[in-house]
Amino acid sequence: MSATEHSRWSEDLAAYMLGALDSAEVAEFERHLEGCEHCRQELRWFEPALQTLPESVERQEAPPSLRANLMAEVREDVHEAESRSVPSRSWRRWVLKPAAGFAVVALLVAGVVGYEVGKDDSGAGGGANTVVRQVDGLTVKMVQEGSAGTLQIEGLEPLPSDKVLEAWVEREGEVEAVPALFVPDRRGHAEATIADMTGVEVVMVTEEPPGGSEAPTGEPIMSMKVPS
Amino acid sequence: MPVRREKAERLADEELMPLVGRKDPEAFEVLFDRHGGAAYSLAYRIVGDRAAAEEVTQEAFISVWRSGARFDAARGSVRSWLLSVVRNRAIDFLRSRAGKAPKLTFDDDSALEQRPAAERTEEEALRRETAGELRGAIGKLPGEQSKVIELAYFGGFSHSEIAQILNLPMGTVKGRMRLGLEKIRGELAEGLA
Repeated sequence: MSATEHSRWSEDLAAYMLGALDSAEVAEFERHLEGCEHCRQELRWFEPALQTLPESVERQEAPPSLRANLMAEVREDVHEAESRSVPSRSWRRWVLKPAAGFAVVALLVAGVVGYEVGKDDSGAGGGANTVVRQVDGLTVKMVQEGSAGTLQIEGLEPLPSDKVLEAWVEREGEVEAVPALFVPDRRGHAEATIADMTGVEVVMVTEEPPGGSEAPTGEPIMSMKVPS
Repeated sequence: MPVRREKAERLADEELMPLVGRKDPEAFEVLFDRHGGAAYSLAYRIVGDRAAAEEVTQEAFISVWRSGARFDAARGSVRSWLLSVVRNRAIDFLRSRAGKAPKLTFDDDSALEQRPAAERTEEEALRRETAGELRGAIGKLPGEQSKVIELAYFGGFSHSEIAQILNLPMGTVKGRMRLGLEKIRGELAEGLA
């Protein structure tokens, strides 16, 4: 392409950056841009100038209602998404469901037993807050560092090939899935990270199908109260 | 699981974006606190009305939240991307408020005067143009260059519309846009030197 032919594109470049080309011109310019390193270089060179424009406007104070309304809408989205992904997150609702009732009762019993059995086995280690329990025939170690926690379980049986382990936490009476699936290794050791332990009262683990479940589908293999 | 607010505050914008993509409200809130003021100011500069600026800014941020934050780090900073989303929303708002953005297909002054749509366009152009003063590096541009940049970037007018508004050939409009951006870029380079 000759310099004269190219000058047409150079002329369009600033208009393109300022959003002043119409849609057909934009498409044409972008087709040219794909094959023209010279124009791409110019575009990159001009970019800081374009970024100056929105920064140059006189600063206005945003009304507090903007932040409040925006975050209310965001939290409503989150709430709706959670409602869709976990049909029933309340322990009480689960108890009312015949199919889930057994599992919930078992979870609660296992939780109390785990705590009582583990009373004599707790200990702390290092800079982290570490609790070790004998729970349901398993050795469970809960390591808390800041707001995060690591759940380590020893003595697990090999899992059927169509099962994975899924961890759950109870917080203020609500059960939440921990977004991590895990499997025991050959020595029967398994580990899961719980990103946020804030307010967690009970940690439990169930066997679930690959891909995990939205709510526990069976009896927990382990459930442990977390000392506050 | 959402990150805690304190942790989110320690993260760079580019680190917050993946969290926003995973619908983390704390990360999103930090992003808004960092850039919401600039976003609202830009929206206000374009639409010239506080209630409309609030609506535009909220819509822009909600679109970022709901789209899963389609941010491409290769194309610039998070802030400039966010502001471009706000700018596009604000221009859309202006166009929807004024009806379809008038496409002037005539170049005769007398015809311009006879067409209500053209009158509205001119009034709109004047309103947008005089809504605020050019500042910073832009303020140092010759008026003829700042005017075309102003009408395009803050007014949302195409080069052909600007040519009709200012009664200039389209090539002249494009040329002034380019010269204006070159001067701003030059000012920035001098500032860095």
